Amino acid sequence: MKDFKVLNTRAPRIDGPAKAVGKAKYADDLTMPGALYAAILQSPLAHAKILNIDTSKARKLPGVKAVVTSKEAGLVRYGVSPARYDETLFAHEKVRYVGDEIAAVAAVDLATAQEAVELIKVDYEELPAVFDMFEAMKEGAPQIHDEFPGNMNAEVHQEFGDTDAALAQCDLVVDHTFLNKRQDAAFIEPHSCLAVFDLDGRLTLHTSTQVPHYVMRTVAMVLGIPVGNVRVVKPYVGGGFGPKCEATPLEMSAALLARTTGKPVKMNYTREQVFLHSRARHQFYAEMSLGVMKDGTMVALRNKAVLDGGAYTSFGIATVYYSGSLLGGPYKLKAMKYDGYRVYTNKPTCGAQRGHGGVAHRAAFEQLLDMTAEKLGIDPVEMRLKNIMATGDVTINELDMSSLGMKECVEAVRDGSDWKNKKGKLPKGKGIGMACGFFVSGAGYPIYRSDTYHSTVVIKVSEDGGVATVLTGSAEIGQGSDTTMAMIAAETLGIPLSHVRVVSGDTDLSVDLGAYSSRQTLMTGHATKEAAEQIRNAIASYLAEEMDCSPESISFSDGIVKFDGQPGNFQHIRVQYIKEHRGWTDPPSGEYLTFREAARLAYLKGGTLVGTGKYKPPRLGGSYKGAAVGTSPAYGCSAQVVEVSVDMETGEITVDNMTDAHDCGLAINRTLVEGQMQGSLSMGLGECLFEEVKFDSRGRVLNPSLGEYRIPTALDMPNVKSIIVESSEPHGPYGAKEVGEGAIMPTIPAILNAISDATGIRINELPVTSERLFMALKNKENA
Amino acid sequence: MLLPKFEYHEPSTLQDALNLLSELGGNAKVLAGGTDLLVRMKQKIDRPSHVISIARVPGLDAIIPRNGHGVTIGGAVSAGAISRHELLNDRFLPLALAAGRLGAPMIRNRATIGGNLVNARPAADLPPPCMVLNAEFKLKSASGEREVAAVEFFRGPGEADIEPNELLVSINVETPMPWTGGSYIKLGARKTLEISMVNVAALITLQSPDGVITDARIALGAVAPTPVRAYAAEELLIGEKPTDELFERAGMTGVGLCSPITDHRGTMEYRCMMIEVLVKRSLKQAVERAKSWKP
Repeated sequence: MKDFKVLNTRAPRIDGPAKAVGKAKYADDLTMPGALYAAILQSPLAHAKILNIDTSKARKLPGVKAVVTSKEAGLVRYGVSPARYDETLFAHEKVRYVGDEIAAVAAVDLATAQEAVELIKVDYEELPAVFDMFEAMKEGAPQIHDEFPGNMNAEVHQEFGDTDAALAQCDLVVDHTFLNKRQDAAFIEPHSCLAVFDLDGRLTLHTSTQVPHYVMRTVAMVLGIPVGNVRVVKPYVGGGFGPKCEATPLEMSAALLARTTGKPVKMNYTREQVFLHSRARHQFYAEMSLGVMKDGTMVALRNKAVLDGGAYTSFGIATVYYSGSLLGGPYKLKAMKYDGYRVYTNKPTCGAQRGHGGVAHRAAFEQLLDMTAEKLGIDPVEMRLKNIMATGDVTINELDMSSLGMKECVEAVRDGSDWKNKKGKLPKGKGIGMACGFFVSGAGYPIYRSDTYHSTVVIKVSEDGGVATVLTGSAEIGQGSDTTMAMIAAETLGIPLSHVRVVSGDTDLSVDLGAYSSRQTLMTGHATKEAAEQIRNAIASYLAEEMDCSPESISFSDGIVKFDGQPGNFQHIRVQYIKEHRGWTDPPSGEYLTFREAARLAYLKGGTLVGTGKYKPPRLGGSYKGAAVGTSPAYGCSAQVVEVSVDMETGEITVDNMTDAHDCGLAINRTLVEGQMQGSLSMGLGECLFEEVKFDSRGRVLNPSLGEYRIPTALDMPNVKSIIVESSEPHGPYGAKEVGEGAIMPTIPAILNAISDATGIRINELPVTSERLFMALKNKENA
Repeated sequence: MLLPKFEYHEPSTLQDALNLLSELGGNAKVLAGGTDLLVRMKQKIDRPSHVISIARVPGLDAIIPRNGHGVTIGGAVSAGAISRHELLNDRFLPLALAAGRLGAPMIRNRATIGGNLVNARPAADLPPPCMVLNAEFKLKSASGEREVAAVEFFRGPGEADIEPNELLVSINVETPMPWTGGSYIKLGARKTLEISMVNVAALITLQSPDGVITDARIALGAVAPTPVRAYAAEELLIGEKPTDELFERAGMTGVGLCSPITDHRGTMEYRCMMIEVLVKRSLKQAVERAKSWKP
């Protein structure tokens, strides 16, 4: 492995001090003189015709500055995927879920805005509603969108090889069904934004988002503003996990009200509104059959998915594709068939959440694998190792595993957990289970069809040569992408990390598609590296000219410059630098020329030193329908072993140990990689054991708070042994690839497999509450 | 979320607080820790026109031992203070344990015992231990004071035997007899920050370390409209030698006294079965502690 100075270390994150002392600004910390506060009116009914909206009383309330409905906002249809633009900013004619937006009010303060919202009178004609995805598919069910009969939002049918024929030739075919529950991402910071127009009609929207670029495009389209006149700026963000990957009615309402009133408009979602806006994990139903040979060789997989999409599409088309495409690996298959259905219901809209579309079906598949291994009498670890893909393999659905440390991950968790001495040897009530998974390292294509670069980066060196500033539109949302880019820039330029600054999350700085599909380390990282190389090469060529040597003989490392590994005769450059900075406190010194002096020389010769980098993936994937979804320049993979204790009298589950190995290519920052691994485990543990958004019979969320929607606490999380596996990814900057989402893939099935080992019971519905497990234990006893 | 508008009062003596309460009565709410009240006000479930803070009333946040015979706990003592208190952990263990399971550390540092009791939620943590400890609640108003036994205090979900002009100023508990041990067990989805699906407090007194049970008290939460004492199960234990089989029978008897509901946290069926298990376990723990009682 290369000898890195900055990369692959445990460098403290560059935003750490600002966050630790509370100086980091989040959207709700922003204020502006004269700002108005706004609130949204949301439907109390799950499905109803809007007969009339009377805003007159609200408009008359002192302090109210504007009231907007679909009349003022217009009816521009938007969404995430241009193939399904099925939303308008405000509902017209019809509301489709409790929470559907109807109007927004701007007033001098929040209390007035909220009071005004209550004064808006809406006459509804209530319609029959449907909340269950299977009910929604039945004939005669209430129809939610006229354009989509049968409430069928999207259908996917894919087959690779002849699945039925392959299954018929198998020694054993095992069937399995699985049902997860709708989730909330439970990020700590609710959505918040501040919109302001300048006198030239240019909008600046400060907002808590993962994707400034897409928000810019959607807001421009919906409000009819030239896209060049929209600037989206992302302050620090308190988590996103997927649901902050699209423009929200909050952002569009604030922008519309700012335009209407000519004043800055500030707006937040309450926690309850976060649940109503949702866009989090779908409910998935999975039906699977796996065919194998006696020796454990996997042959064919049949997979069916039904997704409860809620009232609109959001990311749903991609989601329903991912549930199929992400089962193509990491095991070799000869045939695979997938049928996916995404169904509209009168509930808040589901979208993307960590491990987009893959998590529930991965959970079902990895359980099915264990069930099959058990029937064959093969150890689950051995069964996986027998079928596992390696670097260079291409999945049956044409995903190219250009690097894949899957085997290394399995072996690492097997040995790290002492699997061999535990599997089958634990007392009743204790169990051990394992699972694998993989995920994209950035989507191969943008959400809208385009030849755009996915990332561009500008690096600018200060006039004195001392500081390199990375300018990027990428989104630091807590995962540490600013630190990652700073480290890549520092390594490439050969300077200490402290000499790099990062300004990010602003659409004026560069093009970047944002923080989703685990793309920034690879894609923004590439662009950052290229920009830094450009600067380094420019400096080298100016220096070569000055020193009369070849650029290739010059090397940069640790902030110093060497010529053929030697100090070289650079004194005249130093003398000039010191003369120019007479009286300054920090004259360059030491045996070698510093980067600062070299960069100053480059400035004197060529003006402000700027490098630009860009990245877009090559054309990826097959030519079948939907082949784009699941493609990526690289794939991360992981394996986990989980140990649990089950209280056989109450059904309570305690996760005692987790051993996790993830192949992230080169770990740019080892601490950040472990943070993503452990965060994924925590999220998966919550989804497996506790989390479920619940509704009453009229479609109202029963638990829209972090008191009643249960995410794991510190006491629910065991200690985690995190093992970083580093394959070298040829398509990643310095060999790096994803860790943010792939790490969640094995968590749920590993827990479920451990529960099965402890109790002999297969649970096929989440969450595995103590009650669900207890009842299953009791049923087994009675059977 | 914003609080609705209200008048805020911050009396600095108990008498002033009681006078305000008697004057404003039903239009006022007492603010102690605020962990329930402020949430309910933000959700517009409670809309009091006056809020009376008792933060500046002296003495309400004190835990005062009474000559070894008992202890007086001020109504505004925090759950955190109770959970950390040495004497309470030593002699009044069910209460200290329950206080340590209420919410999470930040909530425990604000939530008060008085608030937890007068809110009278069926799943609250502190009523069952108060009931097994035979606690008496002292209620004061501008015109007088009275004591109500914990077992008499709870009337229904959110309803307790307290008038709008009264303040729960203290909780008085007598020190249990020698060879007494106690326990508190709570079943929720997570390990902490939970609303109980079922909770059980138990107190057992033995004649001697290996003697028969001379006194037994069991109280259950989240199993009926109010927390309840399981008298029939208690009777079954008295005079008997503690055995696992006996505890199991007590658990089964305990279930018969309960009428839990099915809601989104758990079904009636599961709660009933858990009463059985938790009563058994709580008795076992209480007896083990009774056996190792130290003067």
